[in-house]
Amino acid sequence: MTKEEVQGAAQEEAQAQSKKALKKQQKEAEKAAKKAEKQAKLAAEEQSTEEDDFAKERYGVSAMVQSQQKLDRLLVRVQDLTADKAEQLIWVRARIHTSRAKGKQCFLVLRQQQFNVQALVAVGDRASKQMVKFAANVTKESIVDVEAVVKKVEQKIESCSQQDVELHVERIFVISQAEARLPLQLEDAVRPEGEADEEGRATVNQDTKLDNRVIDLRTTTSQAIFRLQSGVCQLFRDTLTKKGFVEIQTPKIISAASEGGANVFTVSYFKTSAYLAQSPQLYKQMCICADFDKVFCVGPVFRAEDSNTHRHLTEFVGLDIEMAFNYHYHEVIDSITDTMVQIFKGLRDNFQTEIQTVNKQYPSEPFKFLEPTLRLEYTEAVAMLRQAGVEMGDEDDLSTPNEKLLGRLVKEKYDTDFYVLDKYPLSVRPFYTMPDPSDPKYSNSYDMFMRGEEILSGAQRIHDAQLLTERASHHQIDLEKIKAYIDSFRYGAPPHGGGGIGLERVCMLYLGLHNVRQTSMFPRDPKRLTP
Amino acid sequence: MPMYQGNRCASEHALQNGEVDPAVKALEARQDEIMRKLYELKAAVEGLAKTVTTPDADLDLTVSSSLSSHSPSSSCSVLQGTADLNALLGQDLGALRDIVINANPAQPPLTLLVLHGLLCQRYRVLSTVHIHSSVSSVPPQLLSCLGPRHADSYIRQRFQLGFTLIWKDVPKLQMKFSVQNMCPIEGEANVARFLFRLLAPYPSDPALATLVDSWVDTAFFQLAEGSAKERAAVLRALNAALGRGSWLVGSELSLADIACYCCVLRSGPASSTPANVQRWLKSCDNLGLFGPTMALLQ
Repeated sequence: MTKEEVQGAAQEEAQAQSKKALKKQQKEAEKAAKKAEKQAKLAAEEQSTEEDDFAKERYGVSAMVQSQQKLDRLLVRVQDLTADKAEQLIWVRARIHTSRAKGKQCFLVLRQQQFNVQALVAVGDRASKQMVKFAANVTKESIVDVEAVVKKVEQKIESCSQQDVELHVERIFVISQAEARLPLQLEDAVRPEGEADEEGRATVNQDTKLDNRVIDLRTTTSQAIFRLQSGVCQLFRDTLTKKGFVEIQTPKIISAASEGGANVFTVSYFKTSAYLAQSPQLYKQMCICADFDKVFCVGPVFRAEDSNTHRHLTEFVGLDIEMAFNYHYHEVIDSITDTMVQIFKGLRDNFQTEIQTVNKQYPSEPFKFLEPTLRLEYTEAVAMLRQAGVEMGDEDDLSTPNEKLLGRLVKEKYDTDFYVLDKYPLSVRPFYTMPDPSDPKYSNSYDMFMRGEEILSGAQRIHDAQLLTERASHHQIDLEKIKAYIDSFRYGAPPHGGGGIGLERVCMLYLGLHNVRQTSMFPRDPKRLTP
Repeated sequence: MPMYQGNRCASEHALQNGEVDPAVKALEARQDEIMRKLYELKAAVEGLAKTVTTPDADLDLTVSSSLSSHSPSSSCSVLQGTADLNALLGQDLGALRDIVINANPAQPPLTLLVLHGLLCQRYRVLSTVHIHSSVSSVPPQLLSCLGPRHADSYIRQRFQLGFTLIWKDVPKLQMKFSVQNMCPIEGEANVARFLFRLLAPYPSDPALATLVDSWVDTAFFQLAEGSAKERAAVLRALNAALGRGSWLVGSELSLADIACYCCVLRSGPASSTPANVQRWLKSCDNLGLFGPTMALLQ
């Protein structure tokens, strides 16, 4: 081959290549042109449709509310949407719970807290095709303002809390848009466990729920739980205030561990360290010594226990009671148990819907109790357990399984989920517990149980500095460390007793739930510090 | 004053100045004792007067016995017989032997309340009344139907027997005793039989025992729940039986009398009953066992 030939061949090749490239380019250009044409066509179409979208002003995404204007528009609560509002034109603000488009109409379920209502956007003289499309595309959990006519329905809408009416939407504006991907679906989060297993549907595990607590708290179950919890606090305060108790506030940063030395959180406190209060007991008792007679407090309590169980939290809300009594510490038991009974009665009579809502997801037997509360003595409990085949000594403490068994035995005989166990052995109680006057092996102390789980531990406290010193040295407690505590009883102290309950535990056991994290809004345990 | 360790209950009032002459205290105690004896004497005389005005009634033994000592064994003499709780209910294992009765407040179990009174005369009974959460409220007289609280009620160990009445929404009266060894007993008649056995053995003669059982059933099925016709028939039968003796079965008061008494009075006024029945009702009244319970009927 000559050089020319080679060159020629190369040129040819290059030519061929450029030809190919040209062709490619041409094709691409054609494609682009087609695309442009299509787009133009689409745009034109859109323009034309936009032009005949008569409902353009009736939907859209509102500008972010920055308080630009103060409308006097009345927003009706979803729970108030009943048949007597029929044919009225009203405004509602709610979340999109679900949406389902079907040809020329779109069904929405609008939710406000635990209430929801069906809404319909249908092509007609008020809504255009575009408006229906827009409504169908609003993401779930977005907040919308809707203007609609309330219409009675012939068949009850079983899936909604407002069963007698639906809304015929005339305007819809998005106030706050939710991201399209939700970390968990609300309907999955409220699905009863059994049902999910049967139908192979999804449920949400607890950690996912707690990680995304803001969404989880929107569920009907969570709404009901925390409304009930608020009710417990309210009833606790009301009942005690009526009984002449004074609500007090106690410090949470303390210099010495209040109950023994173990399981307290240490925090740095300038150049030294301090502790987080395990219980307000010392301060409650000081208030009694200061003649407040009967006190209670509601506040956080900290326990540095590394126990990962269904009923332990490292921070919880303590409802604490302390009162002076006249002659017998049963006056204290009577006061506390009556307070509990008033709470239970209040919940039974005023929170039935919340209880039913929780029961839908977590079925449980209704909470039963007696008035006045049943009181059993420790020796009886031991005898009952022995009769049931448990081997235990007279002065052994009750183990958790034995507590549960005892709860079952008591329930079977008395049909109550709440009772008091009185007269615990002195050896299993803290040093400040008053010994029994007739038998030094026992003490004037008591526990209260709900559904077989301990919710309150209390006692008559020693109000005599000398006896307290004796008992403390018997327990080998460094007297120097509790000097301030003992000193509070040196200047005359009324006989007194008390106890404290955990709000989360009471709610959990009242509702028959199985994990205390469900009744703690933002639970703290050894493995969880956020959210 | 000694430090309060919960060894005294609140029933006594606080002494204002803390110092009282022991001699004065002793005098007061003596005076109280004399007054108490006087009241008992008065009650005994009144009881005797009643038996005189209704000649057929047996001598009221409860009244005469209340004059003697206060030990529980001797204060009940209406029903003779030996009843040892350990033999009847099994060995005491340390837990209070508590009889739990679930009753519907719409139908107070009068018979059981009468038997409760008798049990209290025989044993140290810890009586408590509760309302179950299935019932929203009950009339106040049903809360006090077991009498005032025992002064020792804060120490459960001091009692031989517990009598726990729970007002509950139950279709049928129910008694629970030993949950592990015994199924619940249903129906007022059956519970009455159980309680009566703690007071006196059934007649050893099987025929008499059957007769007692038969009257108890008649009382609860025909008097208490039967139609007007059935009630009239039972009243006629009672009248005939009481024409033969002063008590329904045998020569002394039995469960038959207690059950029939309660059911007769529950079904209508005493004045509308035949003569023998009226006389018998009066004799029952004179025993003084039914008074407080019957007040519930009003």
